[in-house]
Parts: sequence; structure tokens; C-alpha cells
Amino acid sequence: MSQMPFLQMRNINKTFPGVRALDAVRLEILPGEVHALVGENGAGKSTLIKILAGVEQPDPGAEILIDGKPANIRQPIDANQQGIAVIYQDFSLFPNLTVAENISFGKEIGLGKRFVNWFEIKETATNALAELGVELDLNLQLERLPVAKQQLVAIARALAFNARFIIMDEPTSSLSRGEVESLFKIIGTLKEKGIAILFVSHRLQELFTIAERFTVLRDGKYIGTYLKDELNEEKLISLMVGRRIEFIKQSRSKTGPVLLEVKSLTKKGNFKDISFTLHKGEILGLTGLVGAGRTEVVQALFGLNVPDSGEIYLDGVKVNIRSPEEAMGLGIGYIPEGRQREGLVLRQSVAQNISLALLKKIRGKFGLLNAGKEKELVEEYMEALDVRPRLPNMLAMQLSGGNQQKVVLAKWLATRPKILIIDEPTNGIDVGAKAEIHKLLRQLASQGMGILMISSELPEILAVSDRVLVMRRGRLVGEFAIEEATQEKIMNRAFMGMPGRVTA
Amino acid sequence: MKQRTKSKELWIFIILVVLSVLISARSNVFLRPDNLIDLLKNNAVLGIMALGMTLVIITGGIDLSVGAAVAVLTVLIGKFMVTFGGNLLLTFLVAVAGGVIIGIINGTLIARANIPAIVVTLGSMSIINGLMLYYTNGSWINDLPAWFIDFGKITLFKFHDAGGNVVGIPIQIIIFLIMALLTWALLKYTLMGRAVYAVGGNPVSAKRVGINIERTLIFVYAYMGFLAGVAAVTHTSIMRQVDPNAFLGFELQVVAAVVVGGASLAGGNGSIIGTVLGVLFMAVLNNGLILTHIPTFWQKIIVGLIIILAVSFDVIQRKRMEKSLPRVDVEY
Repeated sequence: MSQMPFLQMRNINKTFPGVRALDAVRLEILPGEVHALVGENGAGKSTLIKILAGVEQPDPGAEILIDGKPANIRQPIDANQQGIAVIYQDFSLFPNLTVAENISFGKEIGLGKRFVNWFEIKETATNALAELGVELDLNLQLERLPVAKQQLVAIARALAFNARFIIMDEPTSSLSRGEVESLFKIIGTLKEKGIAILFVSHRLQELFTIAERFTVLRDGKYIGTYLKDELNEEKLISLMVGRRIEFIKQSRSKTGPVLLEVKSLTKKGNFKDISFTLHKGEILGLTGLVGAGRTEVVQALFGLNVPDSGEIYLDGVKVNIRSPEEAMGLGIGYIPEGRQREGLVLRQSVAQNISLALLKKIRGKFGLLNAGKEKELVEEYMEALDVRPRLPNMLAMQLSGGNQQKVVLAKWLATRPKILIIDEPTNGIDVGAKAEIHKLLRQLASQGMGILMISSELPEILAVSDRVLVMRRGRLVGEFAIEEATQEKIMNRAFMGMPGRVTA
Repeated sequence: MKQRTKSKELWIFIILVVLSVLISARSNVFLRPDNLIDLLKNNAVLGIMALGMTLVIITGGIDLSVGAAVAVLTVLIGKFMVTFGGNLLLTFLVAVAGGVIIGIINGTLIARANIPAIVVTLGSMSIINGLMLYYTNGSWINDLPAWFIDFGKITLFKFHDAGGNVVGIPIQIIIFLIMALLTWALLKYTLMGRAVYAVGGNPVSAKRVGINIERTLIFVYAYMGFLAGVAAVTHTSIMRQVDPNAFLGFELQVVAAVVVGGASLAGGNGSIIGTVLGVLFMAVLNNGLILTHIPTFWQKIIVGLIIILAVSFDVIQRKRMEKSLPRVDVEY
């Protein structure tokens, strides 16, 4: 490689309170190359992009060279002036402005103009679109364009301010196959102009079609940069997954008869043809990449996302679940991700939080609350779930993440659900508390509850579940008994779908 | 969204025409030039303020302190003229400077301290009203200088109406038209104007593309203050005296005119043409009700209904759009 790299990044660290998002990461981009950035959910790709875009600052000690010279990217406009453009997944365009304005805006601001010359705006836009070989109505309001066309506007905007390096974050996630092909043609055009592309995607097959080099991140660490010929899909996945600390495998209880059966559940734009069963006393792990449709499916079971077609059977009886009230009436509980936002009243005491779910049970004469009964029940649940410290009057916000999650669990257990759906149960909780939550979930299962657990953390899925379901792009693409499940097998399905199936 | 806004503008225009036809069928005074001119003159202040509020609302904000601001500015220039005499230019400068200062304070709190606009401006409204009451004790200011009274009587472009009377366009309408033109050009031909739309349309993208959001917001509230100053002079030139309580509750009429004119309180859209139509609608409605001897409280009820209808139409459309968006890229 005698060519001078456009960009060199070395020793990029980024710490957020309590989390090391990037740990000595490096990246090198050559002019005109298509470079893939890969890693699992949470591997640090987004943070790295944000640093390149000037949205986040790396920790001190970072080295960023552009054309071999040290570069300072303090804010987005610096990145633009250095020739770096980011095309975010949401494109970051202005729905209320015209195509021409969206394309030219960045350039005009970069030039520090005060007045708008509409002739110039149109000229800039026309030139940028011509460079891409694309025709669009310049006066059309952006929000009236289909998604694929909006993406072209975003690319044209990058060209308008002479970007030499374009970062594309999941550029194909909302495109049809035909649109992906035309995007790849456009990328070819950009390459010919010497513009480098950083392509971030979960679709490995696409990456192998378009990218020449791959940089792999795992858990915020730099794993390596590889030429396309050095890799294949299996090898890439094993680099992304690696070997990680495993949680203590929780002992399994025997599972009982079928509690819940779902048949070909489908909702347009959400999921398709979802069928599975959940047994009494079973923990069913549901995994896949973020955005695979996992949350959408469980919300359908809880009446938050009514499906277009398909059937749900509870204890063999067909049910229609149209609202959370109906779901709760049927004995289904749902703990969403983000317990602080949706599951807890942070400024109230632990006791008040738990008794919120118990209001019916502790209602005494004339609808007044029975304080004695309340205290008794709250203490019972705090003990059963081992909430620490055992202080009912403490504010929920003062508890640690793990204990907060226990209070949320207590709330739901108080309603005595037959089925508990829990989304990312240990997100943002420290390792010790994670194991405790795992143990609790196993205990609940052994008492006969059926648990459907969504998790992106494979070690967690493997430690707790009896069976594992894998989703990819709105479909179920794998089911493994726990004995045969491995991280590699699961990731293979999550990234590439069912073996033998043609995927886009 | 421009297409949608344009169709909104077309709608309000059609409603305005229908309303005018209905009123002129019941009152032969309505379409007389002197009535129409009076109608415009009496709503010039509302119009000037609504122009500024349009910018505020496009950024997704609101300014509830404008009634109090314009009131205190009328008191300020009233005292100024009575005490120092002064001249027209100085009076304008005092009013505008006072307004800009109020606006900068509002804007800084909103943009830098990140306090919601409704909270900041509700607070500043109360503070300004309190200070003004303390200062004036609610008493009026009379004895304005003769040169100012004369300024308020200026009419231009005189012509003869059908009855042979000489009619001219009062200076207040001219001021409104100049401000409307200025604000329109600001929105269309300056980068600041486009930044106003960008910040309201997608603040995250605006930041990523390098727009200084703080500066944009402070500018918008300062510009609102500038127009409050212009409105204070205009109002005083019509009334020829200062009543500190003349603007109680006025902010709601200003917001109403802008919303009726098609701006979305969620931010991102709105236009000067729409706002001018919204102001005309409020003016014609009020005038028509008076001419047809319908109690004027109907104006408030009708305006309220139209605001709720306009806003719910917006919200429903947005929700429908969000619902139809796919959440997962399902493989078929």
C-alpha cells in the first residue's frame, strides 16, 4: 500500500460513565476504497461514526490524520470541511424543504453565506445529481420522495460539498433489492471519482459484494482489518462473536404442556409468518439483531401492536388480543425494555411502586387503601425477590439498576401472570446483578410460569433459555434446543438467515 | 410540506372568500373601501405581531409574552415622548431596542438553558405585566406630542371612492405591508430564514449540517421583539394615547392568526402568505360579526373551533403517516 491513506485513526478511546464504548480502536481508509465496518449490536460502530462526524469527541490521546496531517474534528461542520460526510440511517434530511435545498444546504452553510441565492442552490443541486447520474424534481418537497430517492438526495448533499469520504450507516436497510443494486452502481461511480466509502451493514452478503476491506469491532475493541479475500462469512461471524465470558448456566426445570401457541402471525412492515409455542415452566429466548422485529412480535402478544393475520392460542383456546388490558386479563405480563422509562415511577418509593400493581388487592372499605395489608404484601415481595436494601420507603431512583429491575419484576409478579414477556431484562445492569435476575427468572419458570425473553446478549440467552428462537428481518429463521445452541450458530442465522434460503 | 402548506393556504383563502361573500350579502357596508381600509388598519398591529410569531412557531416554539411586551413598549415610548419629546426615528429606535432586549432574554433562556418556550415566555409575560403595573399603576398616558399624532394620521395613495370621498391608505397599513415584505424576504432569501425552517423541520439534522441552533432561536425571539417594538409604535399612532392594559390576552389572538394561517405548532412549516391570510380571516370575521349584529363573542368561539380543527387535522395526518411507515424491513 504505497497510497497515502485519506484517513488514519489510531488509539481511539471513548468512555461514557460506566461504559467503555471504544477501546484503542483504529481505522484506516484509502482513497476510493469501499471499506466495511462490522460488529454486533453494541460493538462500537455507531460511536466510531459519531466521532468521525464530529458529534462525539474521543478521549484524550486519540490520533486522527487526514491526508497524513493531524486533524481536529470538534463539530459536524469541521468534518464536512475536511471532506467527511455521514449518511445516517435516517438520512438527516429536512422533510419540509425542497430537494434542491436539502442538497445545497450543507455547502451554503459551509461557505458561511448570509443570503440565499436560489439560482445557485438549484445549480449546486443539479450538478450534484448529474454527477450521480440521477434525475429528481428539484422543487419537490423531500417528504414526498420515496425512501430510496431520499437516500440519493443525502448522497448528492455529500457530493455538493466535495466530500472525499462518505460514511453510510446501514444504507440498504430500507431498500428493495433493485434499489440496493442501483445504490451499488452509485457507489461504483463514487469510487471512480476517488471517493472512499465506509459501509456499515449487518447484511454480510452485501458487504462481500461491495467491500474490499473489512474492519471488525467487538465489544468496543479493534479486532482487525482484513482484505476481502482473507475472509468468508463464517470467519467474519466468528471474528465478530469471539469468545466471551459466559454466565453461569442456570439449572433447568422440566417444562410442562403448551401454554401459548402462535400460528403464522403477520403484520405488514413488522413481521411475517411467525409461529412458535411456549410451554409451561419454559424460558423461551428470542434473539436476533436490533431491528429484526423481536419487540414488534411480543408487542403483538400484549395487544400493543395488533397483527394483520395469524392466530394466538392460550391453553388451546383461540384468543384475540387487542389491548394490554385484554392481555393482562388473559394472564400475560410484559416488561418492556427501558425499565426506568416505562416500568417505574422513579420519584416514588419502592413500596408505592410495588403496590401500584396491588391496588385491587389492598383496597379496603369505601375504596380506601388498607395500609397494613399493603405493608405486608410489599414486604413479602421485597423478600421474595431479594430487593436490597430492604427499605420500602426508599425512592425507586435511589436503587441500583439490578434492584430497580427486581422492583419492576415484583410489580408484575403481583398480578400473577401465567406468561411473562420480558424485553432485554438485564440491559445496563452489572454482571453480578445480571446473574441474580437470571436466577430469579429460572425460579419463576420452575414455579410454572412461561417466560418469553428477548435478549441481544447471546451469553444471557444461552445461560437462561430452554429453547432459542432467532429472528432476522421480520422472520423466524432459527429454533435451537439449548443443548445444541451456540453463539456461532445463532449469529449465523441472525446475520444470514436460514441455510439454503436465498436472501437479499 | 410546501405543497401541503400551499393547499392549506388555498383552503384558508377559499374560506376567506366564502366568508366575505356571506358577509357582503348581509351587509352592504362590508365591501366599501373605507370599511375595508379601517378593517386593515385596526388589524395592522395583530398582523405585525403575527409575522414574528410565524417565525417562532416554525422553529417549534411559542411566545406568550408578546402581549405583555408590546404593552410595556407602548408605555415606554409614551413616557419617552412625554418626557423627552424626541422624534419619530428615536421613538422607533427606543421601541425596537426594548423589544429586541426582551426577545434576546427569552431566546437565550430557551436556547441556552433549554427551558421550554412556553414556560419561559409565560414567566416573562407575568414579570413584564407585574413590572408595568408597578410602574404605571394602570394609568393611561395622554398628551403625546403633536408630531406623533400627525404621523398617525398620514395617508398615502389617495383616491376617490364611488361616493366621491377622498380615501387613502393609512400609514399603519403601509407599515404592516413593509414588515410583511421584509419578513417574507428574510425567510426566503437569507440563510437565517432557511435555518429557521431547518431547525423546525429536523433539529438533529440541522445540527449535523452545521447550523447554530442556539443562534437561530435567539434570533427568532429577538426578531419577534423587534416586531413587537414596531407594533407598539403602530398601535400608539392609531390610539394616540397609551393604555397599559390594552393587550391583555392579545398573545392568544396572535397565535390563533398564525395557526389559522396554516403554521404547525409542531414546527417546520408555516408561511408569511398563510399568516397574512390568517390575520385577514380574523379581521374579516370580527368585522363581519359586528356588521351583521352578531355578538362578538362568536368570534372567539369560531376562531377556537377553527384552531382545534386545523391542529387535529395536522395531528391525524401525521399519525396516519407514522402508522403506515414500516418498523421492520421484513424479508418477503
